[in-house]
Parts: sequence; C-alpha cells; structure tokens
Amino acid sequence: MRYALLIAWREFAETVKTRGFWLSICLFPAIIVLAVQIPLLIEKKGLPTRHYVLVDRTGELAPVIRAALATSEQRRVEAALRAFARTAPYQEPFAYYLSSNRVLDLPQWQATQGTNWSQVRGFVPPRPRFVEVDPPVQSAATAGLDVVAEALRPWLRGEQKVATETGAAPLFAAVLIPADLPAQAAVPASHRGANGPVGLQYWSDNLADTALLDLIEGTVNAELRRRAYAERGLDSALVRALEETRAPVTSLNPKKAVGEEQVGGADRLRQWLPSAFVYLLWVAIFTIAQMLLTSVIEEKSNRIIEVLLSSVTPGELMVGKLMGIAAAGLTMLATWIGALVLVLAWQSLGLTSAPAAATGPLARLPLEVAEILQTTWLLPAFGLYFVLGYLLYAGLIIALGSTCNTLKEAQSFMGVIVVLLMVPLFTMTFIPRDPNGPLATALSWFPPYTPFVMMNRVTADPPLRDVVGTLILLIAFTGLVLWGAGRIFRIGVLRTGQPPKLVELLRWLRRP
Amino acid sequence: MRGACQPAGRRITHPLPVSPVALQLSEVTKTYGAFTAVDRLCLTVPTGCVYGFLGPNGAGKTTTLRMILEIIRPTTGTITVLGSPSALAVRSRLGYLPEEKGLYKKMRAWAVIAYFATLKGLSQAAAKRRAYELLERYGLKDFADARTEALSKGMGQKVQVLAAVAHDPEFVILDEPFSGLDPVNQTVMEEIITDLRARGRTVIFSTHVMAHAERLCDRLVLIARGRKLFDGTPDEARRTLPRRVRLTTDSNVAPLQDLPGVAGLASLPEGVWELQLHDQADPQAILRACFDQQIRLRSFSAEEPTLHDVFVKLVGPEATEARFR
Repeated sequence: MRYALLIAWREFAETVKTRGFWLSICLFPAIIVLAVQIPLLIEKKGLPTRHYVLVDRTGELAPVIRAALATSEQRRVEAALRAFARTAPYQEPFAYYLSSNRVLDLPQWQATQGTNWSQVRGFVPPRPRFVEVDPPVQSAATAGLDVVAEALRPWLRGEQKVATETGAAPLFAAVLIPADLPAQAAVPASHRGANGPVGLQYWSDNLADTALLDLIEGTVNAELRRRAYAERGLDSALVRALEETRAPVTSLNPKKAVGEEQVGGADRLRQWLPSAFVYLLWVAIFTIAQMLLTSVIEEKSNRIIEVLLSSVTPGELMVGKLMGIAAAGLTMLATWIGALVLVLAWQSLGLTSAPAAATGPLARLPLEVAEILQTTWLLPAFGLYFVLGYLLYAGLIIALGSTCNTLKEAQSFMGVIVVLLMVPLFTMTFIPRDPNGPLATALSWFPPYTPFVMMNRVTADPPLRDVVGTLILLIAFTGLVLWGAGRIFRIGVLRTGQPPKLVELLRWLRRP
Repeated sequence: MRGACQPAGRRITHPLPVSPVALQLSEVTKTYGAFTAVDRLCLTVPTGCVYGFLGPNGAGKTTTLRMILEIIRPTTGTITVLGSPSALAVRSRLGYLPEEKGLYKKMRAWAVIAYFATLKGLSQAAAKRRAYELLERYGLKDFADARTEALSKGMGQKVQVLAAVAHDPEFVILDEPFSGLDPVNQTVMEEIITDLRARGRTVIFSTHVMAHAERLCDRLVLIARGRKLFDGTPDEARRTLPRRVRLTTDSNVAPLQDLPGVAGLASLPEGVWELQLHDQADPQAILRACFDQQIRLRSFSAEEPTLHDVFVKLVGPEATEARFR
C-alpha cells in the first residue's frame, strides 16, 4: 500500500502541476458563464444602430410605422431596465414597477412618477435599434418610386454614407410605400400572383437581419386590418381585446401535499438541475479518463514502466495510478462545486437583505438551487456516482492504455469509449421529462450508464428497487472491470509492438 | 588480474548480512508460445562481482534480466536473488536500469531520481538529499532542477542510471548501460560501475561492446539463442581461443607452417599473415624461426585473443550483427 500511495502522490502532484489541469479547471466554468453571457452581450452590444429611409406616398402609413418603431424601442429600454433591476441595488420607486409582471407603460410611468428611467442610478439605456434618416436624394419627395430606388442604390450598396446625428453611417434599408398600397392589399395575401403588384418595397442587402422588415410589415398589416374593421363598422379595439382571450392553465403535481400542488419555478428547477449535475459528472469523468490515458501511455512509451515494475507489483502500480488521478479529479470537482457553492452563498446573502418584493424570479434562482441542494440527495449521489463511474471508466481506460504504445494508437480505441459515453449525454435532456419511464429505467440497468442516468433521476423519487438494484449491479460490474483491467494491465504494460487482438485479451484474462 | 570477486580491503557499507551468492539461476527457461527465449540457463553470481552479460541481439539477455527482477516469471526453473526466491521481496536492495531508456518528461532531474529512490524505500527527504548529491558527483549539478525533456540523451541516461543506484542497492542490474552514450559519458558510466564495485556491490550489466566487458568484468557469461555458451573470467574466455602472431612481410612464409606449436596460417590483406598457435607455443620461437628462415619482417606482434574474437568464434555468424554496433 505504501508503494501505491507513493505512486498516487507522484501522479497527483505531477498532474496538478501541469498547465492543462488548471486550464480544464477554469475552462468548464468559463464555458458555462460564456454560454450565458455571450447571447446577452450580443443582444446588448453586438447589433449596431441601423439607419433607414422611409418614403411614404400614401401619407398615412409613415406616422403609424414611426409610432410602432418608437413603442418597440420603448420595450427594449423597458427590458433592459428590468434586467438592470434584477441585479442592481434596490431603488425606489422603480423596483415596484419592475417586480410586477404587468407590462410597463413607460410614458405613463414617467408622467405619474414625475421622473424617468434616465434618472435610475447606474442604468445605461441600450442604443436605439433603428433610426430613420432623411432621404439623401432630392428626387425622393416627388419622383416615382422606381426613380427613387434607382437613385438610392449607391447608398444601399454601401458605396456612399448617409449623414446622421452620430456622423456618417451606412444606409441599412430603404422602405418605399406606393400610394396605392391599401388598394393592393388582398384577402388572403396569397391570392396575389407572380404578376401582381410589387406593393411595399423593402430594399436592403442585409438578408439576415429582418427585424425592421418584420416590424414594418406587421405594423402596416395591423393598420390595414384596423381600417378594414372600421369600414365594416367593427370596433378595432374590441377585436384586439377579443383576440387576447385566454383559457387559464395551471400545472399541478399529484405527489405534492394538498394546497401545494401548484408547480412553481423551484419545482421545474428540481427536475432539471440533475441534468446539470449529469453534465458535470460527464465532463469530470471524461477529463480525468483522458489524464489517466496520457499518464499510462507516457510510462509505457518511455519504458519507465520497467523501472517501476522492478520496484512495485503491477497491482500496486495500477491502484496507485487510479488513486492519484482520482485525487486530481476530485480536486477539479471540488473546485467547481466549491465555486458554485460560494457563488450561491454570496448571491443569497445579497438577496436576503433586500425586500422579497424586490427579487425577480431569476434573482431567486441561487436561493432555490441552494435549497434543492440542501434538501435532496443530489450532492451525496453525485459523490457516489462519481467515484463508481470514475472507477468503471478508469478501469476500461487503464486496460486500454496498457495495451497501446503511443497516444495515437490509443486514440482510435478511445473512440469506442467516447461513443459509449455519448449516449448519456444525449439522453440527459429528455430523461427529466419521463424520469421513471421505460427508457430511463432500461438505461439505468446498463452499468456503464448507471451513474449518469441514475444521477438524472435522483430528484424524481425513483423506485427503491431501481436505486438499490442498479447500485449493486454497478458495484459488481465496476469490480469486474477493475479485476479484468488488472489482468490485462499486468501483461499489457510490458508488451511492445502491435496492440493485441480481442481474442488475445480474453486469453490474458484467463492467464493465472 | 581480477579473478576473485571480493578482494581484501574493500569497504562493505551495507549493514545486512552478506550472503556469498548474490544471484542463483537454475535451469531457468522462458518460452513464448513455440519460441524459447531462454533455455535452461544456470548461473551463479558471487556477491561483490561485476558480471558481464554478453550476447548478440535477441540472445535472451533482457528476458533473463527481467526474470531476475521478477518483472516477468520464468516458465520453469528457479531464481534466487539475494537469498530470496522473489525479487520483489528484496526490491529495496536491487537497482535496475532497463534497456530502453526513458524518463518522465515534465519532471525535474532531481525529482525523478528522488521518486525512484522513494519507491525503493528511502524517505522523501533522504531521497532528495541523495539525488542532489549524486547529480553533483557525476557532473550534472547544473541540471538538477532542469526538466528531463530539456536534457540531452546522454545526460538523461546518466540521470536514469543515478535513479537506479540512488538507494545504494547491494545488487545493480544494468541493461545495455553504454548504448547511446558518447565516449566521455561512457567513461562516466564506467566510473559509476567501478565505484559500485569499490563499495562491494554486485553488478550485472549486459553489453555488445567487448571493450567495456574486458575492462570492467570480473566474470562474464556469453548467451546466444537463449543458451549459455560460456561462463567464466575474461582470462578463461580468452584461453578458449589459440593465441596468435601477426607479421607483415613480402617474403615466403610457408616454412613457418611446419613449426611446432603453429596450428594454422592465414593470409590477411596487405602482406599481413596470421599464425594461430597452440596453447603452449612460444611466440619468441616463431620470431627466432623468422630470422632463421631469413624472412624480412616489417612488423611482428604476438597477440592475445580479444573477447571480441571469443565472441565471434562462439556466437558465429550471428555476431556479425553485433560487431557493427
């Protein structure tokens, strides 16, 4: 045992010293943070302000479009303000409005409160998304739309820039509305054939960002419909109100006590949080298995193995390596989970000091996660399944590594294990939907998947038979794998030349 | 000459009782399927002896050494190392340098030596102290803190040898310790072996280079195709071949062939002739006969057979391969 510990210690110390180890420690949380932050960042900073030209020959639609764009802009400010309120220090009177779920009427709010959002401390409103500019060509006011479109081409192609408040900018789009557009409108629109009228012209070389087109098209259609209602003597406000008709729906969980059946955010979280832990388990096992493979191959390809085997038995060497790498893996996991707990604790601390009303649903997330971690078997199960899952896959990897001479040789065999490991990653997202269904149950009883699938089911109260049965099977299978790995390792590490065939491996298993 | 393995005056530093035999192999055979790597090998290595393992490639040297260390088990036969049937039971008293050399690339030189020493039972602190001590003594002081991947091949090999002897083992097994070393480092390697001998340690080393065996070995064993061809002192080895006289002349040398004591005459290029002598023949008598026969000599030398000659004779055509190494 002393020798196994010495080997484990070296293995641990050398792994922990490598740059790759610390990279993988930092990389995983970094990826998670980035995955959340990047879309937000793109939303916030990524899209530039677009400048467009609006030429309306009807003389009626332009104000409607401008009003719709202004409202849309207002909603963006409102959304930003809400997001700000979730994380910013508590401030009166905004928090009240922001925490309520009703749609904020900014102008009304500004009027009644005698203040406006620009006075909220620390809040920077997002840049406007669309800004209208005057047509850069003289003909715009009078000439035919075809002439205007032709004249605008150099700007639309980006060859010339338009003057804006913030300096010269490229022209994003030109919206040209013919005078007879209302007359061209048909019900339904598909009646319009290939030779039909062109209608509203939207000129832009950017085919991906269709937000402006969607908005204008929606607004114009709504306006034309409103007029159609009015012509037929219908109250358009009433029609719109009727279209909002909704039947109430409540999610209820029969397993909960009477009066508490209503499914809230915490319940959904409880169902989905295990998936996060399955992913963590997967990443951890996969990363550590790679480390183990590299370490075995290094000793084998450098022939250090012979010196080692003149000092220790193959069994001691294998156990030492398994323990050393496991220690490195546990360090990595402890760092991740420790960081998670710290962040949760820090966030909860900030939240408990603010009035409950001030906390939005997203802001309560840390508290809920913390509560779930405290009240369920998630963390202990994670520890247990990590150890067993690690030993199982480590056994496979160490046996595999011992038969290969170079990392390259090993990679092709690693492919098989990777494919095997992909399955729980795929099932991870749909097992929570039916955690005790036939698929989840069947996969649970396949030992290589037991750690992942059972981890996925842990908060769904799986039947005791599944929990205990799969655990016993997993322990037995892991024992078998380690025994076989020991047999293969002892012969494999000293072997040079071609990797053995499967038949040969089976013979090694039987050799005394 | 060095015949005895334990001359008086040698300092024996190991406190353990010293058995007169360090290693005993009896009827050791190792087969891989139909292939016999080692065939009924018997060998006795006295304590304090430097024992050379000679033989062409694939002779079974490495297999034998691995069996001695219990890295692999013999198919039949018994091996007793330092009085124990199991090398692992006495592992802390053994040192081993394998044929193919390699080190942990990212570890520092001192750390590698210290690590292997701790695996042989030294404490961490003692192992570290010993590592620095050895690196300094054998000229690697400046590289003690370098990663082994930054060392030259020769330096790396020295580090590995030092790692094999860091725990001051009683019995050191070196597989091809000279291969890949430049002449300067070969000298250092010889120094390490000489130092081990001076302190009464038992050393087995395998080699292809006869010059090293000649200079260092107290005894040697010659193996080919898994079988022992010769086992004894270098002198005994040389005596298995007739002595020779070489002379250079343009005269007719045929009369020399009939002299008593001359076993054979062979012509070598550029007027050189080689006479093989019987054991008791005197080269002086040949020289006298040359004068008598009025053979004009440009050179005359009486040569002891070298181990290389012994090797070539005993191993035969297989040795050709070894000679070019």
